Amino acid sequence: MSSSKNKNKYRYIWKIFAALLVLVIVSCSITIDSIDQPASVNGGQILPVTLNVTLNTNSGQTNRFMVAVLVPTAWKVSSNSVVSFTSDITSGPQSMSVIPAGTAAPQGNGLDWPTLLATKIGNGGNLLSGWEWVAFYSNASYTVGSNATIHITVNIQIKVSNDNLLFKLGYVVGNDSNGLSDAQYYNAFFSGNCFSVIGTGDLIDFCNPQISTVEPRTSLENDIVTISYDGGVTSTILDNASQIYLCATGILSDGSSITVCAPNGQTVMSSLGLKRWRKDIWPRKYFGLTDAQHLTSFQYFFTDVTGTLKVGYGGGSSAFNYTFKCQ
Amino acid sequence: MKKIIFILLILLNAGLFSCKTEKITVPSEPLKNVNGSWKIIAATRNGEDLTTRFDFSQFRLNLSDSTYTIDSLVPFIVNKSGKWHFDDPVYPFSIYFKQMDSTTKISPILYPVVNGQRNIIMTLSPGCSLITYQYSLQKAN
Repeated sequence: MSSSKNKNKYRYIWKIFAALLVLVIVSCSITIDSIDQPASVNGGQILPVTLNVTLNTNSGQTNRFMVAVLVPTAWKVSSNSVVSFTSDITSGPQSMSVIPAGTAAPQGNGLDWPTLLATKIGNGGNLLSGWEWVAFYSNASYTVGSNATIHITVNIQIKVSNDNLLFKLGYVVGNDSNGLSDAQYYNAFFSGNCFSVIGTGDLIDFCNPQISTVEPRTSLENDIVTISYDGGVTSTILDNASQIYLCATGILSDGSSITVCAPNGQTVMSSLGLKRWRKDIWPRKYFGLTDAQHLTSFQYFFTDVTGTLKVGYGGGSSAFNYTFKCQ
Repeated sequence: MKKIIFILLILLNAGLFSCKTEKITVPSEPLKNVNGSWKIIAATRNGEDLTTRFDFSQFRLNLSDSTYTIDSLVPFIVNKSGKWHFDDPVYPFSIYFKQMDSTTKISPILYPVVNGQRNIIMTLSPGCSLITYQYSLQKAN
């Protein structure tokens, strides 16, 4: 009799423990349930984004709410955005402000929020440089009770630049006490689709592997630029070329042009292996400019040693284009 | 006993009068003489090492007392000859270049000795301001 009583007692204790365990697991989390974000906006317009967030607590605490966005640096989001939120426990829109540069993230080993997010969350699969995380804190701190479920709606308004681009946006929510120290204290959300800005100028495609890139993405004729060719992205007529050459035409401010296209020691690309090639040029010298001449852009192809097989944008016959400008 | 004391007294006096007075002078930091021809031994662009990827080998910055010339130009803070000076000839932190018919350009510098050789490390942005180059220069032989 006593043996069966003990068995029942232990079963009862285990049930309590299991229930508590489930309660703990379910009760401590912050989740971005969904986002409302358009597929595209026109250059210079406002990108409106809504994050629908659920916060479950297992203990009372007082924190500032944190929201971070992964965006192109060209948008200068720190200066061109407004972020606010509403929630079950607040009245009216609550303002948020950019976290000042250099402010250490909580439990981040001294790293600021942008660096911590880039290190721990990543860049959302964007294939070019020129992206950044921008983080915001709520202006006020808020006290939440234990075992509470709170719904938060975050409103983000970003004025995008005029650049023509494709980008994978990302979002993170968290607080100013726990940082990214544990998965229960933050949540990251990537839309997965490629957001489009219908703007002006060369398309800056962060989403799709590119046959060719130029770094820095923005520069002037007096900078050293690095032109890359990746023959592994897609099959082209240069697949079997043992050596790749740069065939470029500089467009001057007076509308004239200078072409440097003969396959020789000046135009030969350096092999990086795996069908990747690279060349560093100083445009002013490369195109032999006089003091009075200035470049606005250059167009280019890649060729084989004969110069007859040419690969342009998308592996086709249209030239790649690079416009000189600063960010 | 008296002899011992006498000898000790002689030794003591000898010790006292053998001391020389040493005048202590504070060493003065010399003026930095950078006259000569300087070449680039290392170059970065926003931290990316370009030293072996771009031909800097022919570049020469020729400094004399107050004038400079440039041979085999690369992206640089100035592109013609002119006058130069340090902000402080004893403790330089910046170098000023003023080419003919142009404004003065300033580059912060470091002035370390590396492997027994004086280096000048210059930081400059000849193109976009967000693109920074760092050139390490040594005297060319």
